[in-house]
Amino acid sequence: MSQFPDLAELQGNILHGYRRAVVRHLVLEVVDRAAAQRFLAASIAGDSSDVPAITRGTILEKLPDVCFNLGLTYEGLRALGTPATHLASFPTEFVEGMTRRAAKLGDFGASAPESWPSPFDRPERVHVVATLYADKTASLDRATEQVENFAAGSHSAFAVAGVRDGRNLDGNKVIFGYRDSISQPSIRNDDIPDRVRDPLGTVLLGYPTRSEGIVFRVPTPPVLGRNGTFSVFRVLAQDAFGFEDYLDRAADELIADHDVDRLLAPGAEKRIGSDLTQHGALREIVAAQMCGRWRDGTPYAVSPDWPLSGSTELGMEESDGTPPGSRDLRNDFDYGPTSRCPVGSHMRRVNPRGGLIVQRIANHTRRLVRRGMTYGPDFDPAIRDDEERGLLGHFIGANLGAQFEAVMCDWLNLGLHHPDITGSNDPLIGANQPETSWFDLTARDGGAIRLRGFPRFVTTRGGSYTFLPSLPALSYLSKLP
Amino acid sequence: MSLESRFGRYVDALPEKAWFKFLATHVVVPYWNWGDPKPKLPGGPRPSTQPSENVQRMMNLVMPLADTSSLGRAKAVMAIAQNAEEIFAGLDNVGTVHTARFVILEDNLCMISVYDGDFSNYIRDFIETIGSVFDDVMSLVKGGEVLIPTAQNVDAFIDWVHEHDLFQAPDFPTELFALQDERAGRKRGTPHELRSLPRELILQLQANRNLSLGGGYRAYPGVSAAQVRSRFGMGW
Amino acid sequence: MLTAADDDSRLAEKLVEALYRPDGSRALRPVHALGIGATGTFVASQIASDFCVAEHFSGEPIATTVRFSNGSGCATAHDGWSDVRGMATRFHLADAAATDLVAMTLPEFFTATPEAFLDFAVAARPAPYKGESVWGKLRALLRLELPLRNPYPGETISPDSGAIAFADDHPNARLAVFGAAAIGAPLSYVRASYHAVHTFVVTGKDGTRRHVRFSWQPIAGVANTNKSETPVDSYLSAELRTRLEKGSDRFSLVMTIGETGDAFDDPTRPWPPHRVRIAMGTMTIEAVADDQAEASERLSFNPWLLVHGIEASDDPVLRVRKEAYKISSARRGGAPCPFAGV
Repeated sequence: MSQFPDLAELQGNILHGYRRAVVRHLVLEVVDRAAAQRFLAASIAGDSSDVPAITRGTILEKLPDVCFNLGLTYEGLRALGTPATHLASFPTEFVEGMTRRAAKLGDFGASAPESWPSPFDRPERVHVVATLYADKTASLDRATEQVENFAAGSHSAFAVAGVRDGRNLDGNKVIFGYRDSISQPSIRNDDIPDRVRDPLGTVLLGYPTRSEGIVFRVPTPPVLGRNGTFSVFRVLAQDAFGFEDYLDRAADELIADHDVDRLLAPGAEKRIGSDLTQHGALREIVAAQMCGRWRDGTPYAVSPDWPLSGSTELGMEESDGTPPGSRDLRNDFDYGPTSRCPVGSHMRRVNPRGGLIVQRIANHTRRLVRRGMTYGPDFDPAIRDDEERGLLGHFIGANLGAQFEAVMCDWLNLGLHHPDITGSNDPLIGANQPETSWFDLTARDGGAIRLRGFPRFVTTRGGSYTFLPSLPALSYLSKLP
Repeated sequence: MSLESRFGRYVDALPEKAWFKFLATHVVVPYWNWGDPKPKLPGGPRPSTQPSENVQRMMNLVMPLADTSSLGRAKAVMAIAQNAEEIFAGLDNVGTVHTARFVILEDNLCMISVYDGDFSNYIRDFIETIGSVFDDVMSLVKGGEVLIPTAQNVDAFIDWVHEHDLFQAPDFPTELFALQDERAGRKRGTPHELRSLPRELILQLQANRNLSLGGGYRAYPGVSAAQVRSRFGMGW
Repeated sequence: MLTAADDDSRLAEKLVEALYRPDGSRALRPVHALGIGATGTFVASQIASDFCVAEHFSGEPIATTVRFSNGSGCATAHDGWSDVRGMATRFHLADAAATDLVAMTLPEFFTATPEAFLDFAVAARPAPYKGESVWGKLRALLRLELPLRNPYPGETISPDSGAIAFADDHPNARLAVFGAAAIGAPLSYVRASYHAVHTFVVTGKDGTRRHVRFSWQPIAGVANTNKSETPVDSYLSAELRTRLEKGSDRFSLVMTIGETGDAFDDPTRPWPPHRVRIAMGTMTIEAVADDQAEASERLSFNPWLLVHGIEASDDPVLRVRKEAYKISSARRGGAPCPFAGV
């Protein structure tokens, strides 16, 4: 096995975030196998005017008008004619599909698959999740038409079962107002020190992973499995109003319980936000502790008293684009025994970094590449509405069970990796119910203040487990008898 | 006593009569089993959302030995005993196990343990830290050779363990209907005759010969191994 | 204008009516007609007030009145027949205040809503019962089913067949009907465990609210009569008198805490044994009450008689009990229910 794959054989979205302005995910059902295979062949060849070209992993000077990648579900692989013996070589969780893994992922109550809108209410019809990335919606529309209309003779290849659009909120923000996507597994970047770099096997099947000696099963035949990976496509509605309302309540409670000084350093209001009152500052502290980062992306562990936005202290890029100082504190930090970042915060649950955890062997083993974008209308706290808004996209990792599911069921929910939080769920995206939820804030004096009664802020609105095949694998699929 | 009431008393006592039990075992049950064979229900605890369902979970792993002679059983004993130190160190590193013991019972090597969280994470971390011990053990177990080296067959090994972990009967008997419905792909809430419960249980036992009765008793439920160690000041 | 409370009241009326048995009595309760009152003392455990600030969990000895009963509404005693038992406890607090905890030997209820309960009550109306014919039994054995039990000596009507038919069509009711059919008869009222079934919300010293369910566990342990022996019609009250003359018996109050994903408002779903359970205290049953009319027959328990520190959950069946107990008490000329006139 070579040290490094030929980048032209990989789908581009695995190693690269394209950083485009808009995205469209097309959920497709294969209606005519032969036509779908012709579509794949043309997409791989990349020279057709009727079919968007698959974007490869080769680093390009200039991105095409539309970047195009696709993932297949188990049903999709079957619809394309993959032989049963090879289908059986795929991991169990992929075969079962996200809908049947709902209990493990905390998808119950309002997040249960029974409430998912079309097309995710009929998982057997979800065959392909095709993702288009562009800078203009018009480009997306053109490519969508190509996919919808592609036919071999009189047979349409696909039925479009669902469409989900997303966009990049300025500064990579999410609806909750935080800057996202700061920490991604950095596979190749030579600027990143080794201790932060993740092995290729984190995101690609068939390569060494962070876990010593462990090799995950590569589906057969080798041409199908190698250089492929798995991606969890998920649509997550974020209840921004609910979140802001809860922050109000939490600040009220903290003031009523005389806990202000335990959380707010004297004079810190102004450094947390230029026009914040004490109440407003407390809200931001609660938001920052629940997330593990201040809304501008400053890690709470690096600066627990106030964010460092726009400041060279963080080692961030200067506003004129000149590179940062020697350490990018946004990402180059760790959690030590005296860290004031709450153990139960979202960031610390999904990536405990080198911090002490119960599962001692598991540090750095459950990383995921996140390619997500915002969907729904802009959020304006002053204008209340019922619109659905949130985050959707791909969580990419070479093994669904060892990475995505392992984080969801033992860390994000349950909090098994630290005895102080076991029995509680992630305050931002966990499966919370107001009757039973709790979260411990860290006070400046080293103690803790327990918050209770917050509802679920993020609800699952659909998704699928998909397989992102390599280009040779797609070629194999396009030629199946 | 009238003929009818004598016959009635005879029928009442039928289930205890040897000839009836013979008939039931060799004719009646196989007949029903042929008509309505139950799919085997999966082993281990079922995924749940409640914290107390996710800590102190029971594993009853039953691994049939390849060599069931005294020599074979002695080899199994030695394989575990000689690796005891690695096994215990591995369990410490996994961090989520309350108790674990190996038992040789008839022709089987069993691992009975109480652990927290998801079982596949437990096994995966366990393989990472003591994969070579698993390899030694698997070489003695029926059908185990294909899984060696376990570190390169992690997914298959996890599936295999899941297969050999005993089915846990539901804590409430009538839930058996719902489990069978789910396994057979019937929708939730399918009506069942309550009186058919004994038959459904008998037929399920044809598919799952061995099982664990419910989740078991816990004196201090709802706490993880690390929480106990932390609370008692032992360090975790 | 009709309010929700009026709806409850009308439904409760219908329920109480539907529950009366032809062999019952309007002077008695429609269910749990026969019973015996006893007196005792409850002392909370050291940690009880951490979880619930209600007065009876303070740790001080609290006087209690307890009524044990047979679930049946039949006016003739048949202690030995398979039946659910009840244990209703009134904690006597300072300044003539009181709070009730009403429990029974089934850990779950038959239906999730009072409307469905009405359907169940109608379906399970006692019907003539002759047991199973000989051919029916043979057929059951060949189908690997348990035959219906033989009627008890003197048994002419029974709710069993109706209840089982209801359970066949209502998956929610299965567990309770199965449990009730198999429950048997205890050797003594103090050798059974009793469950309050419905979820309550308790407030702890630090203000934390928890959704909980209560159960009484007998320190003497659970023990039932031998099913293969002929049932004795009347022994439980006598047994309790004799027993309490010689000594006292204790129950442990166990409070189970509900968790994320548990059905708080659905009484048909019991919580499994591995939920966190808190030992809230011990009640010692000391003596059979002298004035049985006062302490057992006229006394009107109501699960809504609560104090600061305990609230009812949104369980709809619990909600309708408030009215149902009130109505039943008025019908039989019981001491006015605490909520009468409210």
